[in-house]
Amino acid sequence: MKIHVYQVVIICISSVMLFQGIKDFLKRETGQTFLKLAVRLIVWGGMALVAVYPNSTMLVAKFIGIEGNINAVILTGFLLVFLLIFKLLSAIEKIEQNISELTRKEALSHLDDQITTARHEDVQK
Amino acid sequence: MMDDKTVAIVIPAYNESEVIAEVIKEIRDAGEYRIVVVDDGSSDATYQAAKACAGVVALRHRINRGKGAATKTGIMAANRLGADIIVTMDGDGQHDPTDIRALIQPIREKACDVVLGTRPKVKGEMPYIKIIANRIGNIVTWLLYGMHVSDSQSGFRAYSHFAASIIDTKADKYEYDSKVIREINNNRLRFTEVPIQVRYTAYSMGKVQKQGFINGIKTLVRMIWGMLV
Repeated sequence: MKIHVYQVVIICISSVMLFQGIKDFLKRETGQTFLKLAVRLIVWGGMALVAVYPNSTMLVAKFIGIEGNINAVILTGFLLVFLLIFKLLSAIEKIEQNISELTRKEALSHLDDQITTARHEDVQK
Repeated sequence: MMDDKTVAIVIPAYNESEVIAEVIKEIRDAGEYRIVVVDDGSSDATYQAAKACAGVVALRHRINRGKGAATKTGIMAANRLGADIIVTMDGDGQHDPTDIRALIQPIREKACDVVLGTRPKVKGEMPYIKIIANRIGNIVTWLLYGMHVSDSQSGFRAYSHFAASIIDTKADKYEYDSKVIREINNNRLRFTEVPIQVRYTAYSMGKVQKQGFINGIKTLVRMIWGMLV
């Protein structure tokens, strides 16, 4: 069986990414959820699988129903990337809102002092 | 005819130390209003300049969160201060405080809950590029939120205490103004539009953080994104 360069490169990168993900999850590092691990296993595991067994793309093509195995893989990849970006942007949006809320609470916590000062100034006038 | 309603003027300000004291003075000259300035994490002395003005409630965002976030903070503060009518206006002096009286009149008369200040969209009175941008903003607001208004991007508005309590949007940046239109529509609030004057000075036109073309595109993207998530 002839081994191509792309197969070696993909397997190396996938191995590192999978090792890192599993290690972080087992060490229970901050923000490492099972969902994150699952996504990592599917994405990088899937790429490694395709690199080792290029013909497995035929199964994906057959399952999705698209002629041409590599097109099916690329399409699936795009969908996964789109979903990941969507998830990521939603998380950023949520964090942005939380930051604004915290900033607002902090600003409003000084309101009572301001009211007292303003009233004091009104009385002095 | 004046009544005993408390009117609070909310001014979101970002790096306006040069003009904020003058804006406050003009508001004071225009009538007896409570003034709430929200410094949105300015890198200059905007907060100190506002705080130095007697009787002004000056609040400060520790970090910059955008015009919408600062306006919302100011409205919440005004509500806590017990304001019956809340007016929002820009901190760069482009809005004329003498228009406040006309702006709050429909709310005083209990004719509506929200009054939208409408800038004149005539060549000569408003820069041509702003007229086009404004029309695009109005169309996008209508398409996304189902309500057509003459000036969806104007920051000079007046709210009754009820409207200010019920309007709730998480928009932090310039899309806040359009999201308020959505809230008016969703909550079936009564609104009217009142013509206002705008003073386009070299100072107000020269600021980089204003709603320019690039910021307009960003606002548009955020509005569409807000529909998806």
